[in-house]
Amino acid sequence: MPAPKILLVEDDGPLRTLTARALRQSGFEVLTAATGAEMWVSLREGPVSLVVLDVMLPGTSGFDLLRRLRRESDVPVIFISARGSEEDRVLGLELGADDYLPKPFSTRELAARVGAVLRRGGTDTAADDAIAGPPPDCIRFDGWTVSVARRELRSPTGAMVDLTGAEYDLLATFLGHPQRVLGRERLIELSRTRMGDSSDRSIDVLVSRLRRKLQAAGSASPIVTVRGVGYMFKAEVARS
Amino acid sequence: MRLFRRFGLPERLLAVLLLAALLDFAVNSFLFERANTFVLRQDDAERIVENLVLATRAMERTPASERQAVAAALSSDRFAIDWTPASSRRAGSVSLANLREQVLDIEPGLARSHLELHLEGLPAGGNIGGSVRLSDGSMLDFRTHARSAWKLTAGRLAGLTLPTLLLAAFAWGFLRATLMPLRELIRATRRLGSGLPEPLPERGPDELRALIRALNSMQQRIHQSMLERTNTMIAIGHDLKTPLARILLRIDDETLDPGVRDGITGDIQEMRLLLESIQAYVDSGGSEIPAERIDIAVMAETLIDTAADHGADATYSGETNLDIMARPVSIRRALGNLIENALHYGGNVRVAVRRNGTAAEIVVEDDGPGIPADRIADALQPFFRLDTARARDTAGMGLGLPIVERSVRMEGGTLDLGNRPEGGLRATIYLPLA
Repeated sequence: MPAPKILLVEDDGPLRTLTARALRQSGFEVLTAATGAEMWVSLREGPVSLVVLDVMLPGTSGFDLLRRLRRESDVPVIFISARGSEEDRVLGLELGADDYLPKPFSTRELAARVGAVLRRGGTDTAADDAIAGPPPDCIRFDGWTVSVARRELRSPTGAMVDLTGAEYDLLATFLGHPQRVLGRERLIELSRTRMGDSSDRSIDVLVSRLRRKLQAAGSASPIVTVRGVGYMFKAEVARS
Repeated sequence: MRLFRRFGLPERLLAVLLLAALLDFAVNSFLFERANTFVLRQDDAERIVENLVLATRAMERTPASERQAVAAALSSDRFAIDWTPASSRRAGSVSLANLREQVLDIEPGLARSHLELHLEGLPAGGNIGGSVRLSDGSMLDFRTHARSAWKLTAGRLAGLTLPTLLLAAFAWGFLRATLMPLRELIRATRRLGSGLPEPLPERGPDELRALIRALNSMQQRIHQSMLERTNTMIAIGHDLKTPLARILLRIDDETLDPGVRDGITGDIQEMRLLLESIQAYVDSGGSEIPAERIDIAVMAETLIDTAADHGADATYSGETNLDIMARPVSIRRALGNLIENALHYGGNVRVAVRRNGTAAEIVVEDDGPGIPADRIADALQPFFRLDTARARDTAGMGLGLPIVERSVRMEGGTLDLGNRPEGGLRATIYLPLA
């Protein structure tokens, strides 16, 4: 399998060189562009797996570039920005960016984000081949909604319900395997939990916290314990 | 009324004084007119005449040396007389012309004795006084009490007090009317600088209008300079981030000593936090992002769980679910700042979310030293640090609490900071329920 090809659009010369080096070290093939015009030239030459786009570019802003890019392509985009304001982040994600990375970032952070976005696109398409259709944007169960792109959970009243990274990963795992009993080991493995120590006890703590959060308005939680085996997500799951 | 509004303070005061003087004049003229036409009931007048004639005759027949004693003996409660050898008369300010006519009609002889009648001063025993001249030129004063004269006395009392009362009433109303816009001005000044400038309508006397105009333009200037300050802060932040990003990528080099690399990474991390807190402070000043429905109870509990997972002494109590309308990132940061502060200064944190009427009440407590009562207002000032020794053991620029306050205010809520009687700080946030 060839290394994913990444197009890096960044106007600051030294930072462009350093970022490209960091991505290459992480095993990606990198094309670089200093301006929006150069980006278009590179994109015409051949397909890329992902674009890393600086928001502030001379001439056109990264937002305008993304808007135009989205009109002709679904290529995943990660924004990098020195601004880091919440409004920027929201606008970027609304315009269809897949992630937003504020400067300064380390090699590890960059590689992790790029990897996550590529994996999300990849696994989603792989999993959906069986179900058919585009990768799900929204997953619903029992009146609850999960926004996959934003990693957000909303209650039946429409309120945003905070989840930690590990809780979200655990919920995503349950949603991928509804009405199936999952053992503790399998859960730990599947959710790639971010908790430092992923002992049996900590996965139990994680499950009980998630279960409590899904218990809004007195209704029973969709997660049930299967004694001696593990847990099961019993609610009906719909993807759209 | 519009013309009156255009008057300045001195003009208004003058107008009130003139009005009071005019009123005083009118009341007095009326009183003199009333006094001049005042007559007693016939039997009252006859009694006065009778007493007066008897007293005069008795005095004429008494030698001068005994006159005072006789006068005292003749005096009664209802008709008091007093003899003075001098020819000066004790006269009142309000003379009673018609009453004199009435008396002279009954006893014309009294005209020769130069009868004088007047309304007595208020503290005196009777209410009608007068004097006659005896044949040797000495004076006989008398005071009597006439039932119907109280109306005159009351009129006189009114004449004395009414202008004063009216002056007071006018002054009160006038001051109130003048101070009302001033009070609004004070309220507005308190809010000033805490958001977008809101120009006040120009009202009240000229001086106040000028003050409001000056304040409005000051609002604009403050807003402008705050905008410039924010833009400068943001620009510096942006310009620093690209070189910081370069450094962070540069040190990712195997030839570098791991200790040095970790040190630099830590330094950059701290700089990043500083820049982020500036960004958060600026963002909390106002946002284009719409508020959305969020479960504040779950949010608080999640923050506490995360802190506890990192080994902190953090506990949560209260509601399991409670929905509010707010911008999640800014409110999450506000709660995070309070929890971080509690853990840093107090070593522990207790968070409780409760429903309180139409508001969500979020209480963040610790068992630390608290904040000296006189420094609480300071703690909400941006770039203010309570640890005066500049002990830089905290990453931050003194923006933590100001960010909380501004974020909460942006959602239409309030922040209360206070020390618990048992010791430790208590921060209470009220946010409107969804």
